Amino acid sequence: MDINVRKRGQVQLVQLRGQLRMGPAVDGLRQTIEELFVNGDTRIALNLAEVGMIDSSGIGLVVKFLASAKQRGGSVKLVQPSKFAVQTLRLVGVLNLFEVFDDDDKAVASFS
Amino acid sequence: MAAESSGGNIHQGGELTTILDLRMPGDTGAISGVTDTVSEKLTELNVPEEKRMEIALAVQEALANAVVHGCKNDASKQVRCRLERHRDGRIVIVITDPGSGFRLGDVADPKRPEGLYADHGRGVYLIRQLMDEVHFENGGNQIRMWKY
Repeated sequence: MDINVRKRGQVQLVQLRGQLRMGPAVDGLRQTIEELFVNGDTRIALNLAEVGMIDSSGIGLVVKFLASAKQRGGSVKLVQPSKFAVQTLRLVGVLNLFEVFDDDDKAVASFS
Repeated sequence: MAAESSGGNIHQGGELTTILDLRMPGDTGAISGVTDTVSEKLTELNVPEEKRMEIALAVQEALANAVVHGCKNDASKQVRCRLERHRDGRIVIVITDPGSGFRLGDVADPKRPEGLYADHGRGVYLIRQLMDEVHFENGGNQIRMWKY
């Protein structure tokens, strides 16, 4: 999975491409977000437009980071999650935990 | 939600054709390759995309459980994954691990309020939502899943 991180003002925009599932993909995202937290970056917009599948380990990781970010005054917000990702998040009852935006600009602006 | 049982090969009897019979090490890094192989074969079988994605995610979850719980992340152990097709077109996935199994009653509901932010514990629930029948066999170290 490709992980691309860009800073937009006070927000870190994390764009994923591939399948977010157990193994190197989840391990890579875990390392990326943990590094952002260490640097004090807790306002994160996670673009899932090109993530076809998110498995339960990926879901667990994202909700754990949402909780951690909120404890530190930030948040993790979702951008353009694919239809199947939305369906999966809804199935396990966590979709409503997240703010969801249809483009990066709106997600970034929401942190202001 | 899927029907369930703790065992019983109720659909066997010469009506199933084995399409794939794969073995993989008990290593999380090997899971996605097997999932993708199953998904590609489902594409060849002209399984519709939505159904194919649901099956693939269920396979991913079942393999993850087999590796993490059944093999304890021991790459010297093996997980077996079979893809079968019933003559009426239904898809069957059978995943077997060398572990001691589990009790379905021990699996907590991930949608309970205290579980919403948990970082694990959603796999079996997802499988049961995605597939039409789910059977846990041999004390829980084999899962047989049907998609109609």
